Amino acid sequence: MSELTLLVLQLGFLLLLWVFVFAIVYALRSDLFGQRVRKLQPDAAAASAGAAPSASATAPTAAVSKPAPAPTGGGGDATSENASRLVITSGAKSGAEFPLGRDEITIGRSSDSAIIIRDDYTSTHHARLMLWNGRWMIQDLDSTNGTFLNGSRVTVPTPIPLGATVKVGATTFELRR
Amino acid sequence: MTDRSAARAAERAPATGSVRRIRMPQKLRNLELGLLIVACVINAGAIVLVQLGALGRIDTQLVLLGAGLSALVFGLHIAMRFVARDADPFLLPVATVLNGLGIAMIYRIDIAYGDAGWDSAAVRQIVWSVIAIVAALATILLIRNHRTLFRYTYLSGLIAIVLLLLPLVPGLGQTRGGARVWVGIGDLVTFQPGEIAKIALAVFFAGYLVRNRDSLSMVGRTFLGMRFPRGRDLGPLLVVWALSMAVIVFQRDLGTALLYFGLFLVMLYVATSRLSWVVLGLSLFLAGAIIASQTLDYVNGRFQNWLNAFDPAVYDAQGGSFQLVQGLFGLANGGLIGTGLGQGRPDLTPVPQSDYIIASLGEELGLAGLFAILALYVLFVARGFRIGFAGQDDFGKLLGVGLSFVVALQVFIVVGGVTRVIPLTGLTTPFLAAGGSSLVANWIIVALLLRLSDTVRNHPRLVIDG
Repeated sequence: MSELTLLVLQLGFLLLLWVFVFAIVYALRSDLFGQRVRKLQPDAAAASAGAAPSASATAPTAAVSKPAPAPTGGGGDATSENASRLVITSGAKSGAEFPLGRDEITIGRSSDSAIIIRDDYTSTHHARLMLWNGRWMIQDLDSTNGTFLNGSRVTVPTPIPLGATVKVGATTFELRR
Repeated sequence: MTDRSAARAAERAPATGSVRRIRMPQKLRNLELGLLIVACVINAGAIVLVQLGALGRIDTQLVLLGAGLSALVFGLHIAMRFVARDADPFLLPVATVLNGLGIAMIYRIDIAYGDAGWDSAAVRQIVWSVIAIVAALATILLIRNHRTLFRYTYLSGLIAIVLLLLPLVPGLGQTRGGARVWVGIGDLVTFQPGEIAKIALAVFFAGYLVRNRDSLSMVGRTFLGMRFPRGRDLGPLLVVWALSMAVIVFQRDLGTALLYFGLFLVMLYVATSRLSWVVLGLSLFLAGAIIASQTLDYVNGRFQNWLNAFDPAVYDAQGGSFQLVQGLFGLANGGLIGTGLGQGRPDLTPVPQSDYIIASLGEELGLAGLFAILALYVLFVARGFRIGFAGQDDFGKLLGVGLSFVVALQVFIVVGGVTRVIPLTGLTTPFLAAGGSSLVANWIIVALLLRLSDTVRNHPRLVIDG
């Protein structure tokens, strides 16, 4: 083995080590630098436009305090196809996200709930989200203070439109793409 | 007929549902598989380069042994496809590369010493790696949910203390290199129980702090802008401090004491977010260490070696700075890209395969290689912290942070000691250094972190405290 060959092999080995390190760093990029924001905005715009075209101008405020009237059209309903996450829009964990799978999501104060909300207005088993024929429905579980979809109290299992505001206690959330 | 087709459709619907659910996790496992293949190529390449550099030919025997080890790692990977498919995909490849680089370097030292067969530390290290990976596999299979460990909080505390005291038992304990931290029967099988004790201690601290952190963080007097705890809450801190000091005095092991105490302080800080605990704890430890350096000869010697390493009197003294300085010379000889695997003289430093493996690697792989190794440690620890942060329950959070911090602190103590940043203390470099107990302990840590990350991703939950 000539010295030159060994040197080339050594450099190749060091390069391989660093390739390994950077392969991991590259795979971790979303963890290190956060999710790409660019992709989010057209989605959110499409969601609000699809759900409530008339309310899209007031959408940012509607999400927080002034609930828009519930859209009646079925086209904007959140289904297992077009909704992938639940986003908290106000309350203590505003901005937090929760992935939507195919399992039902229970909301309440009890620790076996999927989304645990510990405030004075939430019942132990407050409400649940479930897939019904591929559509996301919200059902109130006889809670004391009620569950509100776009400002109106939910009495029977109701389909949730994409981007519509659901209020449980002091927390509001939406289903998004 | 329509009934049957409807039934078939109903059957198909849940089937597609489950396929959709596992698609994402298998992506993680596939990523892990790809990285593992690269990791095994790196490990095989390191051994081949050592042989080319030191022997000038390729000896297939050790390559085959290494291949057996790789097969076992892939076995662990396949097992995880079934029992922990949502686990973190980066921990296993990183640990594999570090373990393999360690084996290659130990093998290189064996060649320099002329050891072969069962005398060879590399063969023993491979056997220990097999035991360690099997232990990791057993941990993943046995502990299906980390919350079961929460039940055994006080039991693991007891186990930790028993393990710590074990080397002091006459007839069982052995003294090596001045430190009484080994147990063994004769010279045949020796073990450092302190390495396993650090896992038990992490479990104990996590469980204890989850149970008691309110009284530790909420009450107390404010002084200089920091809230200091009440006297009665200081109990656990003082107990752990006394334990660390006892390790220094009776087992003559400064590094382990620093490791345990640092682990406790960080977990306390994470649990209570009170800086005052860290300030109190660090000042306690520094006071203890300064007193120890004045009264205990071996601690004083360590400080002398550190501060006046290049003083000829210290250099030539028995137990002086000869080893430390040789390690530094080795690092300097390596330079930027190293002498090449198998082409340096790392064997000039005493114990180059365990305490000084970082210096040996630094000599043959150079600064570039050493930084790659440190980057791998950074990634490992960062993943561990990430798993801790993402955890849903407080116990899992604390355990994840504690376990990964203990790896980070151990790397810092060893590398800091070898590079003369802090006084040298005898600890093993995680995954790299020759030593069975350390390998087993660190692979169990990998298994626990994998289990934690699997639980985190498997049960998406959101907690909103109003």
